[in-house]
Amino acid sequence: MHTVQSPQLQEATRSLIDNLLASEVFVAYQQACAQFNVDSEARTQLKQLFDLQASLRQKQTSGGVAQAEIDALRALQQKVEHNRILMTYAQAQQEAVNFLREINTEISGLLGLNFAKLANHATC
Amino acid sequence: MENLFFDNIEIAPVAVVKRAARDFAGALAETPQFKSFEAVAERFRDDPAAQKALGAYEEKQIAWRALLMLNALSDEQKAELDTLRVAFDNQRVVQEYFSAQAEMVSLCQELGDTLSESIGLNYAASCGVSCCG
Repeated sequence: MHTVQSPQLQEATRSLIDNLLASEVFVAYQQACAQFNVDSEARTQLKQLFDLQASLRQKQTSGGVAQAEIDALRALQQKVEHNRILMTYAQAQQEAVNFLREINTEISGLLGLNFAKLANHATC
Repeated sequence: MENLFFDNIEIAPVAVVKRAARDFAGALAETPQFKSFEAVAERFRDDPAAQKALGAYEEKQIAWRALLMLNALSDEQKAELDTLRVAFDNQRVVQEYFSAQAEMVSLCQELGDTLSESIGLNYAASCGVSCCG
Protein backbone atom coordinates (compact mmCIF):
# COMPACT_ATOMS: atom_id res chain seq x y z
CA MET A 1 0.00 0.00 0.00
CA HIS A 2 1.41 3.38 -0.98
CA THR A 3 1.06 6.38 1.26
CA VAL A 4 -0.05 9.63 -0.34
CA GLN A 5 2.92 11.96 -0.12
CA SER A 6 2.67 15.73 -0.23
CA PRO A 7 4.36 17.52 -3.16
CA GLN A 8 6.71 19.13 -0.60
CA LEU A 9 7.83 15.76 0.70
CA GLN A 10 8.25 14.36 -2.82
CA GLU A 11 10.29 17.40 -3.82
CA ALA A 12 12.44 17.22 -0.68
CA THR A 13 13.05 13.51 -1.27
CA ARG A 14 14.02 14.13 -4.89
CA SER A 15 16.33 16.97 -3.86
CA LEU A 16 18.01 14.80 -1.21
CA ILE A 17 18.55 12.01 -3.77
CA ASP A 18 19.91 14.43 -6.40
CA ASN A 19 22.30 16.00 -3.90
CA LEU A 20 23.42 12.65 -2.50
CA LEU A 21 24.16 11.36 -6.00
CA ALA A 22 26.06 14.56 -6.78
CA SER A 23 28.18 14.37 -3.62
CA GLU A 24 31.87 13.58 -4.01
CA VAL A 25 31.65 10.23 -2.23
CA PHE A 26 28.66 9.05 -4.28
CA VAL A 27 30.21 10.17 -7.57
CA ALA A 28 33.29 8.13 -6.60
CA TYR A 29 31.06 5.20 -5.59
CA GLN A 30 29.16 5.28 -8.90
CA GLN A 31 32.45 5.37 -10.82
CA ALA A 32 33.77 2.44 -8.77
CA CYS A 33 30.51 0.52 -9.38
CA ALA A 34 30.74 1.15 -13.13
CA GLN A 35 34.34 -0.11 -13.21
CA PHE A 36 33.42 -3.14 -11.13
CA ASN A 37 30.40 -3.98 -13.31
CA VAL A 38 32.44 -4.12 -16.52
CA ASP A 39 35.28 -6.12 -14.94
CA SER A 40 34.26 -9.77 -15.18
CA GLU A 41 37.40 -10.95 -13.33
CA ALA A 42 36.62 -8.73 -10.33
CA ARG A 43 32.98 -9.86 -10.28
CA THR A 44 33.99 -13.52 -10.53
CA GLN A 45 36.54 -13.18 -7.70
CA LEU A 46 34.02 -11.49 -5.42
CA LYS A 47 31.37 -14.12 -6.18
CA GLN A 48 33.86 -16.91 -5.52
CA LEU A 49 34.78 -15.30 -2.19
CA PHE A 50 31.14 -14.89 -1.11
CA ASP A 51 30.28 -18.45 -2.18
CA LEU A 52 33.25 -19.94 -0.34
CA GLN A 53 32.57 -17.87 2.80
CA ALA A 54 28.92 -19.01 2.79
CA SER A 55 29.90 -22.62 2.25
CA LEU A 56 32.47 -22.53 5.07
CA ARG A 57 30.02 -20.85 7.46
CA GLN A 58 27.60 -23.69 6.82
CA LYS A 59 30.29 -26.32 7.35
CA GLN A 60 31.55 -24.52 10.47
CA THR A 61 28.23 -25.11 12.23
CA SER A 62 28.58 -28.83 11.60
CA GLY A 63 32.30 -28.72 12.53
CA GLY A 64 33.51 -30.05 9.20
CA VAL A 65 35.92 -27.46 7.78
CA ALA A 66 39.09 -28.93 6.29
CA GLN A 67 42.46 -27.13 6.43
CA ALA A 68 42.59 -27.13 2.63
CA GLU A 69 39.33 -25.17 2.54
CA ILE A 70 40.69 -22.59 5.00
CA ASP A 71 43.83 -22.27 2.88
CA ALA A 72 41.67 -21.80 -0.24
CA LEU A 73 39.75 -19.04 1.52
CA ARG A 74 42.97 -17.26 2.54
CA ALA A 75 44.31 -17.50 -1.00
CA LEU A 76 41.10 -16.10 -2.42
CA GLN A 77 41.06 -13.29 0.16
CA GLN A 78 44.61 -12.34 -0.84
CA LYS A 79 43.64 -12.35 -4.50
CA VAL A 80 40.73 -10.04 -3.77
CA GLU A 81 42.94 -7.74 -1.66
CA HIS A 82 45.30 -7.36 -4.60
CA ASN A 83 42.54 -6.57 -7.08
CA ARG A 84 42.61 -2.78 -7.50
CA ILE A 85 39.08 -2.60 -8.96
CA LEU A 86 37.65 -4.56 -6.04
CA MET A 87 39.54 -2.60 -3.41
CA THR A 88 38.48 0.72 -4.96
CA TYR A 89 34.90 -0.52 -5.09
CA ALA A 90 34.95 -1.69 -1.45
CA GLN A 91 36.56 1.53 -0.22
CA ALA A 92 34.16 3.73 -2.20
CA GLN A 93 31.20 1.78 -0.88
CA GLN A 94 32.43 2.15 2.71
CA GLU A 95 32.85 5.90 2.25
CA ALA A 96 29.35 6.17 0.78
CA VAL A 97 27.99 4.21 3.74
CA ASN A 98 29.81 6.48 6.21
CA PHE A 99 28.38 9.52 4.46
CA LEU A 100 24.86 8.06 4.55
CA ARG A 101 25.25 7.63 8.31
CA GLU A 102 26.16 11.30 8.64
CA ILE A 103 23.10 12.21 6.59
CA ASN A 104 20.90 9.99 8.73
CA THR A 105 22.25 11.70 11.87
CA GLU A 106 21.28 15.04 10.32
CA ILE A 107 17.74 13.84 9.52
CA SER A 108 17.24 12.02 12.81
CA GLY A 109 18.52 14.92 14.89
CA LEU A 110 15.87 17.17 13.43
CA LEU A 111 13.07 14.62 13.77
CA GLY A 112 14.05 13.48 17.27
CA LEU A 113 13.96 9.83 16.18
CA ASN A 114 16.12 7.50 14.13
CA PHE A 115 14.82 7.73 10.57
CA ALA A 116 16.80 4.68 9.37
CA LYS A 117 15.35 2.58 12.18
CA LEU A 118 11.81 3.48 11.11
CA ALA A 119 12.68 2.90 7.44
CA ASN A 120 14.01 -0.59 8.15
CA HIS A 121 11.97 -3.52 6.82
CA ALA A 122 13.89 -6.29 8.59
CA THR A 123 12.30 -8.05 11.53
CA CYS A 124 13.79 -10.53 13.99
CA MET B 1 21.02 22.36 -6.30
CA GLU B 2 24.11 24.47 -5.59
CA ASN B 3 27.10 22.71 -7.06
CA LEU B 4 30.77 23.28 -7.63
CA PHE B 5 32.25 22.20 -10.94
CA PHE B 6 35.04 19.72 -10.45
CA ASP B 7 36.71 17.96 -13.37
CA ASN B 8 33.59 18.36 -15.52
CA ILE B 9 31.50 16.66 -12.84
CA GLU B 10 29.09 18.69 -10.77
CA ILE B 11 29.88 18.00 -7.15
CA ALA B 12 27.44 18.92 -4.40
CA PRO B 13 29.36 20.14 -1.34
CA VAL B 14 28.74 18.27 1.91
CA ALA B 15 27.06 21.32 3.46
CA VAL B 16 24.56 21.42 0.58
CA VAL B 17 23.76 17.70 0.90
CA LYS B 18 23.26 18.15 4.63
CA ARG B 19 20.96 21.08 4.03
CA ALA B 20 18.94 18.89 1.63
CA ALA B 21 18.80 16.27 4.41
CA ARG B 22 17.47 18.87 6.87
CA ASP B 23 14.90 20.06 4.29
CA PHE B 24 13.83 16.43 3.85
CA ALA B 25 13.48 16.03 7.63
CA GLY B 26 11.50 19.28 7.74
CA ALA B 27 9.11 18.05 5.05
CA LEU B 28 8.73 14.72 6.85
CA ALA B 29 8.01 16.54 10.12
CA GLU B 30 5.14 18.36 8.39
CA THR B 31 3.36 15.14 7.37
CA PRO B 32 0.12 14.12 9.12
CA GLN B 33 1.77 10.81 10.00
CA PHE B 34 4.62 12.46 11.91
CA LYS B 35 2.39 15.03 13.61
CA SER B 36 -0.07 12.35 14.67
CA PHE B 37 2.75 10.12 15.96
CA GLU B 38 4.28 12.98 17.94
CA ALA B 39 0.91 13.97 19.42
CA VAL B 40 -0.04 10.46 20.50
CA ALA B 41 3.48 9.81 21.85
CA GLU B 42 3.07 12.85 24.09
CA ARG B 43 -0.38 11.70 25.24
CA PHE B 44 1.08 8.27 25.94
CA ARG B 45 3.88 9.79 28.06
CA ASP B 46 1.32 11.87 29.97
CA ASP B 47 -1.21 9.08 30.53
CA PRO B 48 -0.81 7.77 34.12
CA ALA B 49 -2.79 4.57 33.53
CA ALA B 50 -0.79 3.67 30.42
CA GLN B 51 2.50 4.44 32.16
CA LYS B 52 1.47 2.38 35.19
CA ALA B 53 0.54 -0.57 32.96
CA LEU B 54 3.85 -0.22 31.10
CA GLY B 55 5.80 -0.01 34.36
CA ALA B 56 4.13 -3.12 35.78
CA TYR B 57 4.88 -5.11 32.61
CA GLU B 58 8.48 -3.91 32.36
CA GLU B 59 9.11 -4.54 36.06
CA LYS B 60 8.22 -8.22 35.65
CA GLN B 61 10.17 -8.49 32.41
CA ILE B 62 13.29 -7.17 34.17
CA ALA B 63 12.76 -9.37 37.23
CA TRP B 64 12.35 -12.47 35.07
CA ARG B 65 14.87 -11.54 32.37
CA ALA B 66 17.11 -14.55 32.96
CA LEU B 67 14.16 -16.95 32.94
CA LEU B 68 12.79 -15.32 29.79
CA MET B 69 16.13 -15.70 28.04
CA LEU B 70 16.21 -19.36 28.97
CA ASN B 71 12.54 -19.76 28.05
CA ALA B 72 12.11 -21.18 31.54
CA LEU B 73 9.09 -19.30 32.90
CA SER B 74 6.55 -21.39 34.76
CA ASP B 75 2.97 -21.51 33.44
CA GLU B 76 1.89 -19.17 36.27
CA GLN B 77 4.65 -16.69 35.44
CA LYS B 78 3.78 -16.81 31.72
CA ALA B 79 0.11 -16.20 32.55
CA GLU B 80 1.00 -13.28 34.83
CA LEU B 81 3.22 -11.71 32.17
CA ASP B 82 0.51 -12.21 29.52
CA THR B 83 -2.07 -10.55 31.79
CA LEU B 84 0.21 -7.54 32.31
CA ARG B 85 0.87 -7.33 28.56
CA VAL B 86 -2.85 -7.48 27.73
CA ALA B 87 -3.56 -4.81 30.37
CA PHE B 88 -0.97 -2.58 28.67
CA ASP B 89 -2.18 -3.33 25.13
CA ASN B 90 -5.79 -2.62 26.13
CA GLN B 91 -5.03 0.98 27.06
CA ARG B 92 -6.73 3.18 24.45
CA VAL B 93 -3.71 5.48 24.14
CA VAL B 94 -1.42 2.49 23.63
CA GLN B 95 -3.55 1.24 20.74
CA GLU B 96 -3.54 4.73 19.25
CA TYR B 97 0.24 4.91 19.72
CA PHE B 98 0.84 1.62 17.90
CA SER B 99 -1.53 2.63 15.11
CA ALA B 100 0.22 6.01 14.63
CA GLN B 101 3.61 4.29 14.82
CA ALA B 102 2.58 1.82 12.10
CA GLU B 103 1.52 4.70 9.82
CA MET B 104 4.79 6.50 10.47
CA VAL B 105 6.86 3.36 9.87
CA SER B 106 4.98 2.70 6.62
CA LEU B 107 5.77 6.21 5.36
CA CYS B 108 9.42 6.02 6.44
CA GLN B 109 9.81 2.60 4.79
CA GLU B 110 8.47 3.99 1.52
CA LEU B 111 10.84 6.94 1.70
CA GLY B 112 13.73 4.67 2.66
CA ASP B 113 12.93 2.39 -0.29
CA THR B 114 12.87 5.36 -2.67
CA LEU B 115 16.24 6.51 -1.35
CA SER B 116 17.71 3.00 -1.53
CA GLU B 117 16.52 2.37 -5.09
CA SER B 118 17.89 5.72 -6.26
CA ILE B 119 21.30 5.65 -4.60
CA GLY B 120 22.03 1.95 -5.11
CA LEU B 121 22.58 1.21 -1.41
CA ASN B 122 20.16 -0.07 1.20
CA TYR B 123 19.57 3.04 3.30
CA ALA B 124 18.58 1.40 6.61
CA ALA B 125 21.19 -1.36 6.40
CA SER B 126 23.89 1.17 5.47
CA CYS B 127 23.00 3.22 8.53
CA GLY B 128 23.75 0.20 10.70
CA VAL B 129 20.18 -0.63 11.58
CA SER B 130 19.48 -4.31 12.11
CA CYS B 131 16.18 -6.03 12.89
CA CYS B 132 16.91 -5.44 16.58
CA GLY B 133 17.52 -1.72 16.10
